[in-house]
Amino acid sequence: MWTRWSDVDRMFNAMDLLQNRMNRMFPDYGRIGRFPVTWDVAQSGPKTNLSDAGDHLELKVEVPGMVKEDLNIRLQGNYLEISGSRKSDTPEGYTVHRVERGMTTFTRSFTLPADVDSEKVEATLSNGLLTLVLPKSETAKPKQIAIN
Amino acid sequence: MSERSDLMKRQETMPDATSEIPAVAPLVDIYENDDEILLHADMPGVIRDDITVSIDNGKLTLTGTRKIETTGAAQWEEFGNVEYRRNFSVPQTIDVAGINAVLKDGVLRLHLPKSEAARPKQIEIKAA
Repeated sequence: MWTRWSDVDRMFNAMDLLQNRMNRMFPDYGRIGRFPVTWDVAQSGPKTNLSDAGDHLELKVEVPGMVKEDLNIRLQGNYLEISGSRKSDTPEGYTVHRVERGMTTFTRSFTLPADVDSEKVEATLSNGLLTLVLPKSETAKPKQIAIN
Repeated sequence: MSERSDLMKRQETMPDATSEIPAVAPLVDIYENDDEILLHADMPGVIRDDITVSIDNGKLTLTGTRKIETTGAAQWEEFGNVEYRRNFSVPQTIDVAGINAVLKDGVLRLHLPKSEAARPKQIEIKAA
């Protein structure tokens, strides 16, 4: 019976395929508000990922079309606040056919799962992705305990 | 019972290729002036080598694959690896050879110049 597991697998693959096709057909489905376009996550700001690598936390934020002057990062203990704005990049002398990207101002705040050493935080911006490396403060770091 | 086994054999391959990452349509702005059509598309996290722009018989296809490297255990994840894909119909008056694309800060800017014949011309009135 377990040799037929591939059938189940195939069924799920077909469902994924259908979902992709549907997404392609209705690209705007689930997007909140068309004009002006707002961010996906219930207008609370750009999408973020947070991962915990033991001695530091890593936060990635989607900020397409923003330069570092547009972004503002504040940190206090384990409270992090990212704000920014995207200016309209409509070129001069062009007629507009379609505007989906629009301009936006956002503030998003997080309670991080650990206290962070604010002196050693590094922020880099590349290809529209902001990456914050947040080293945990000494007390919050995991410790190896030797067995006597 | 028949000796023929080919009737019973089942094909175990998936005829349709399934892509492993979800495809989403990037948000775009489209502008036009007398000389060109300008398209801006948001593709955060996509590097230049992973973007393809192709034009075939009036159909423009943008694709970009985003691969995100993460370290450590995810606490929350609101975005992941995606394939940005979107098709557009472009007028035949576009000068295909003159198309150029610039990727900066996660935004792809595509310049589609109009061919000479399609540009508006000012016609001078001569005095009789």
